[in-house]
Amino acid sequence: MTDAAHGAREEQFAPSEAAVSPLQAVLSGLRQPIVLILLLIAFFTTISGKPLDGFLMLTVATLLVWDAARTRLGYLQVRAPSAARAPVPPARRRRLLVGVSWVSAGLIYAGIVGSFKRYSWPATAAVVALGCLMVAIGWQGPLRDRAQLTGNALRRVWLWAVVLVAGGLWELSSLLQQPHLTTDSYAHPTISALTDPLLASHPGRSLALGGWLLIGWFLAGR
Amino acid sequence: MNSHKATILGYLLVLAAGVALQIKALTRPDRFPSLGRVFTHVMQSRTGRVGIFVAWAWIGLHFFAK
Repeated sequence: MTDAAHGAREEQFAPSEAAVSPLQAVLSGLRQPIVLILLLIAFFTTISGKPLDGFLMLTVATLLVWDAARTRLGYLQVRAPSAARAPVPPARRRRLLVGVSWVSAGLIYAGIVGSFKRYSWPATAAVVALGCLMVAIGWQGPLRDRAQLTGNALRRVWLWAVVLVAGGLWELSSLLQQPHLTTDSYAHPTISALTDPLLASHPGRSLALGGWLLIGWFLAGR
Repeated sequence: MNSHKATILGYLLVLAAGVALQIKALTRPDRFPSLGRVFTHVMQSRTGRVGIFVAWAWIGLHFFAK
């Protein structure tokens, strides 16, 4: 990782020099865009009949505010960049073994969890457990250092924001044109409604879970 | 074209825009960021990293959990 990147990270987590009150520290945590987004998701998923989703989003938002407030108040140490965190390339054979193990575990997970009915307690427990585990891993920090975006590429990040926001707004417009938040519309299908036929069968669910795991794998490597 | 097809076309257009941008980023990495590099950039901070993982977890919850 570059010195500039280390500097940016330290700046982000560094406690403020000026003394702040606990209320100011909490408010600074609440002002983080991701916290606001999580709170909005918690609200909308709860009123859409998914209270467990809402509860989990609210829990993570609260933990982020707590973490930011403690950092602002200086209770948490800023993690200094450490040479010990530099990835040590594993031997090729070991890397292959680890890769095969992860792929096998993913296939077994997708096969078993895909056999459960959607919205059943076993499926819920399996997805919640893995989701919480990944969030906990994410909390610890990046698993490996990556090159930073700079120059023109950095200035054009907004292009992806446009694509993602456009997709989100299109989905939201379909959702709001349903007869009810929990009732699908044929004329204005959401992505959930479009994927229902795929997720009705065991192979379809396993395939979708495999895709979800692959995305998680991709994110864990960021 | 009825509303059903128009809605699906909207999703496909967004998907096509994402694919086109990714291809552009892979061919001109100095000028355009790939989706992977954008995620890496966002996930440099704890809130960004946790937020992205929560979004990922939420997708699983939304499609499979109660």
